[in-house]
Amino acid sequence: MSRQTSRLDAKKVNSELFTLTYGALVTQLIKDVDNVDDVNKQLERMGYNIGVRLIEDFLARSGSGKCYDFRDTSEKIQLATRMYLGVSPTISNWSPSGDEFSLVMDSNPITDFVELPDSHMGLKYSNMLLGVIRGSCEMVQLEVSCWFAQDQLKGDNTTEIRVKLLRKLEDSVPAGED
Amino acid sequence: MAVCVAVIGKDNAPKYVSCLNPNMELDFHYKVHNALDVVEEKMSANGKASGDIRELYLGLLNSTDDHKIFGYVTNTKIKFVIVTESANTSLRDNEVRMMFRRLHSVYADVVCNPFYNPSEPISSKAFNETVRNMMAGNL
Repeated sequence: MSRQTSRLDAKKVNSELFTLTYGALVTQLIKDVDNVDDVNKQLERMGYNIGVRLIEDFLARSGSGKCYDFRDTSEKIQLATRMYLGVSPTISNWSPSGDEFSLVMDSNPITDFVELPDSHMGLKYSNMLLGVIRGSCEMVQLEVSCWFAQDQLKGDNTTEIRVKLLRKLEDSVPAGED
Repeated sequence: MAVCVAVIGKDNAPKYVSCLNPNMELDFHYKVHNALDVVEEKMSANGKASGDIRELYLGLLNSTDDHKIFGYVTNTKIKFVIVTESANTSLRDNEVRMMFRRLHSVYADVVCNPFYNPSEPISSKAFNETVRNMMAGNL
């Protein structure tokens, strides 16, 4: 890539490959599945599959124990974003009951260079990130729901993900076993 | 500082043309098209002279009474053409080189957009804005 300040930083080179790969994945999905909503669902499901595996890697690397409350969880999610995406999001907008917060990112590495065409305005390009958060929280017995409050690709200043704790999952017996 | 910027694809079809003065647009289309011949000539001359070493910046291609035309070709045969006014004598060679380097950088960003198809004309808002800024002279 031609850059004015091209330092041969190994980490930066890898992230561009990741960005391009994610972009190719999204465009291929759009070609295969015409419906934008289905693409969003597929991205979220893929993110979920990544999340259930990523949580193990995260716990091994950070060596963190159980979270005391949801605020602790939000800090862990912030740490994980820093570890895996290289951006430092900020946590804000806590709901009064303490079970909903916002993850605000100034830059999103997977959307570098991306401009959404007008025909795909309903596309949630970074939907995979939501799936990752949902999948990883589910593996630690927390059911969360996440959505985008603001999206830089749609013209907002920052990317804001809202995460809401739905409930703590009890250790239930998997279906099919006694 | 420039009055017209054009990006031409490797098959010599225009990918993007932007002019400060919309009335002169057809005029600039002609000028840019004519300049392509000079570009081809320089590309083949360079290739024979120094083997593999080829400079991307082609320099002044053509000069008319009121306009000067500069060219730049990338290794992927994408050509950038900048048209400036002859009256603007303060424009140094270095500045034109910098303009081309910035153009190349923004073009690389456009190509990295997964929704951009290399065979279509460029419709990126960011690219448009950068080119407008360059033409207005705000480096």
